[in-house]
Amino acid sequence: MPYVLTVDDSRIMRKIMAGAIEALGLDCLEANDGLECLAQLEAHPNPGDVCMILMDWNMPNMDGFTALKAVKANPSTAHIPVMMVTTEGERSKMVEAIRNGASHYLSKPFSDEDLTTRMVECLEGQL
Amino acid sequence: MMMSFTPAPSNTVTAEGAQQTAHIDAHLVNNFMDAVVNVLGTMSGTQVALKELLPALDYKPQGDVSSIIGISGEHGEGMVALAFYEPLAKKLVSRLLGLQAEELSQEDLMDGIGELVNMVSGKAKTGLSEASGMLYRLSLPSIIKGADHQIAGRPKNCPFMCMVFEAEGETFTLQVSFRQF
Repeated sequence: MPYVLTVDDSRIMRKIMAGAIEALGLDCLEANDGLECLAQLEAHPNPGDVCMILMDWNMPNMDGFTALKAVKANPSTAHIPVMMVTTEGERSKMVEAIRNGASHYLSKPFSDEDLTTRMVECLEGQL
Repeated sequence: MMMSFTPAPSNTVTAEGAQQTAHIDAHLVNNFMDAVVNVLGTMSGTQVALKELLPALDYKPQGDVSSIIGISGEHGEGMVALAFYEPLAKKLVSRLLGLQAEELSQEDLMDGIGELVNMVSGKAKTGLSEASGMLYRLSLPSIIKGADHQIAGRPKNCPFMCMVFEAEGETFTLQVSFRQF
């Protein structure tokens, strides 16, 4: 079963995203920050099973932008699409994330429909 | 935009404290009002209306739980706090998760209040950054609990405004203290 990895320091946001992921028939892994995200990817027996990462930007220990760059710099994880899900709504931040490998960008707040639509777009060709 | 604050002729709201006369930009107030309406409407389907604006002199602490976040940039800094009484906080946060209020854990409640101030401040910060062309950063949110607690540490001479909102027949406040330089 393919997994989606949600990376957010807010339990509430991880739960909201997990609900939308499970509604798409996918399993969910969770990480509290960028460091945990990288640890999850390293620990997971087959990184190919992770079909998408939903990444917050502002988190303790390692922010999501740093983690995005690390995911994209690692040949074993570079293929995983990353969607930034963040309160950082400035156009300059979106451009910075896309230039560094993010596939999609969703600003908080978002509706359930927004989240599901963007995830489906991001997953296109992955499953 | 569902509502807006009409700027005074000087384009400022005057917040006259006992030892200070400070001004808070009307567009900043509108940014935060819009952010509160947008965040609670989008994430929890809750209709919110602004009830009143209180300057520093008229502000009295209210609420059982507050979430606080800092905003900083090269040309401005400040603090934003959302304060709720617990029954309304439970209603709003439980709606984020599609739960009943009584199903919500205390941990989720605290986390949810923190996420609300994060999203409100992020939305307002985006408007502020795009209007001024300057980037601002948010700190991670902190939570304070206690009946009608007071939030200390607001810098002297830093403009302050408290917005009282109504939702579900109850009130909550958004306190904004921000100065540009």
